[in-house]
Amino acid sequence: MSESMLEIRNLHARIADGREILKGIDLTVAPGEVHAIMGPNGSGKSTLAGVLSGRPGYEVTEGSVRYLGRDLLALAPDERAREGVFLAFQYPVEIPGVNNMYFLRAALNATRRARGEAELDAGQFLKTVRAKLKLLEIGDDLLQRAVNAGFSGGEKKRNEIFQMAMLEPKLAILDETDSGLDIDALRLVASGINKLRGPDRSMVLITHYQRLLDYIEPDHVHVLSGGRIVRSGDKSLAAELEEHGYAGFEAA
Amino acid sequence: MPASRRREAGTAMIVKSETKPYVEAFRAGPRGAGEPHALAARRQAALARFGDLGFPTRRQEAWRFTDLRPLQRAEFPPSAGAGETRVSPDAWRLEGDAHRLVLVDGKFSPELSQPGALPQGVWLASTARTLAERPELLTGAIEQSDTEGNQPFASLNAAFFADGFVLALEPRTVLRLPVQIVHLASAGAPRSHHLRNFVSLGAGSSARLVETHAGEGLAWTNAVSLIELGDGATLDQARLQAESAEALHFALSRTRLGEGARLRSFVLSLGARLSRQDMLVRFDGAGATLDLNGAYLLRGEQEATLATFVDHAAPGCTTRELFKGVVADRAHGVFLGSIGVRPEAQKTDAQQLNKNLLLSRRATVDTKPELEILADDVKCSHGATVGDLDETALFYLRARGIPEAEARLMLIEAFAADALDRVEEPVLRAYLEGHLKHWLAQAGEGGR
Repeated sequence: MSESMLEIRNLHARIADGREILKGIDLTVAPGEVHAIMGPNGSGKSTLAGVLSGRPGYEVTEGSVRYLGRDLLALAPDERAREGVFLAFQYPVEIPGVNNMYFLRAALNATRRARGEAELDAGQFLKTVRAKLKLLEIGDDLLQRAVNAGFSGGEKKRNEIFQMAMLEPKLAILDETDSGLDIDALRLVASGINKLRGPDRSMVLITHYQRLLDYIEPDHVHVLSGGRIVRSGDKSLAAELEEHGYAGFEAA
Repeated sequence: MPASRRREAGTAMIVKSETKPYVEAFRAGPRGAGEPHALAARRQAALARFGDLGFPTRRQEAWRFTDLRPLQRAEFPPSAGAGETRVSPDAWRLEGDAHRLVLVDGKFSPELSQPGALPQGVWLASTARTLAERPELLTGAIEQSDTEGNQPFASLNAAFFADGFVLALEPRTVLRLPVQIVHLASAGAPRSHHLRNFVSLGAGSSARLVETHAGEGLAWTNAVSLIELGDGATLDQARLQAESAEALHFALSRTRLGEGARLRSFVLSLGARLSRQDMLVRFDGAGATLDLNGAYLLRGEQEATLATFVDHAAPGCTTRELFKGVVADRAHGVFLGSIGVRPEAQKTDAQQLNKNLLLSRRATVDTKPELEILADDVKCSHGATVGDLDETALFYLRARGIPEAEARLMLIEAFAADALDRVEEPVLRAYLEGHLKHWLAQAGEGGR
């Protein structure tokens, strides 16, 4: 095994009011692996996603996060994204007045510039868009609308997965991507995620419920409780949680 | 500032000190040679009114937020019209065919203008030429409000104006090509340019009009426009104020709408150290529609006021106002919005909204929406907001790899574009969008 994609060591973080939410997380993700992080409400799942993506409002007080051997926490949020870290938002933000295609092209070209690649012109960009739509088997109905503005819950999550397909990240963190979806939308989104799995792309699925894992088979499952990973295992751990709930995993 | 009064020998006129240079210039200059005697007399009366009023002060409610010091730091002798400039109108040109007039330092420039072939029933010419050749179009050139009203700069304008433009359409005339008027100021000693413009659309006629103010140096533009839309007439109007960073720009328009008339107006205020647009609109006939929109984008120490005064004097009329402000650095934006509904103006439908985005801690906005409703069967609403850039949206864009500065500009553009979306006429909209993007690109280079 070559170097790891993500290495989290003894990560502690607190929120603006001073409360410590993460109390020593350890997690190693190798290239191509899919890890599911499961936990009850308030266990620190969204804080972990926020800290990894650089969302304002968190302070890391202890520990380290290395991404492809680099100090991830030293990078600005947009640098992290250009280096290949992608966060699928639990609540994608509505941005009225910014066209979805215009936004995506700006994002893709910013990433290409950072990699030393030429920017895509309008024609090349459209070609890429068509290819990704085809790969995910989704329509182009959202493209000419403002970013997430007036989208349904399912449309927003579909748009997140489409952005992921366009930006081709190395590490994708999917924060409660299954929340608020009906079964058809869940299937569509999960199938998109499965198509984007690959030997060079790692994924961290953050979820409350086991049902997403009926569609996406993780390599590892971790239980987060009280700001720590209290148990790790394979996919059978998810089934165990489904049966018994989180009751047996409260932080000691 | 406290008024220092003194009595001029031989006249009964009481003159405030700040008005003195203008009163003296009026006496010294040969003005209005060959004009009808009645007009000359009214100029004299307007000057007297200006002398009475003096410059506005912050004690007056309508001027409470306006800092006139930049106007008082220098004297601005009325321009005789240089008619020559190194500033080219090319950068300000509307895409495609248009009837174009260019004025330089307040004076019509035949060399730079391309009026093109005008259809039957259309008069488009400079104000000076119109006074000479078609004086009947300008019988009301100086109004009672100039000689008795409370707008000192309009009175000053009435005393001094020598040029401007006139667009007059006979009834049921449709002007196919847009009209563009470009006002350019050249660099040089401080000067004031007093422009008086007239737009008169006969019943059932329609036109598109773009007015641009740009230039160099420390000039004071003091423009007054009188706009009349006859019954069922339609005017699409776009105004771009992109004067130099030192310039002072005051523009006042008085618009009257006939029965079923429709005015769609947008003002984009980007330039000038100090600017103020007073837009007075009166509904004279039933069932008319007014779309009065605009945006101000300010940085450095700029100050801009957009003031609207809408008088619903007839029943069943509709007003839609949306003004958006983007204010950076130490700039100051002001919105004054007054809508009055008279007792006879039943079934009035009026909405007014002013939204502002502050980009720095030292940027300020004053916003004062006002409704005065004297009729009982009306639908009226107004509102104002002042806020910062949406941090969650900013993070979302950055989380997709877009650098912070670029992400900020995208959000600012989206904020302002929301107002521009109300410009239905595609040629006008493209023109305004182009200049908005140009401003944003410059602001981006400035490190914001």
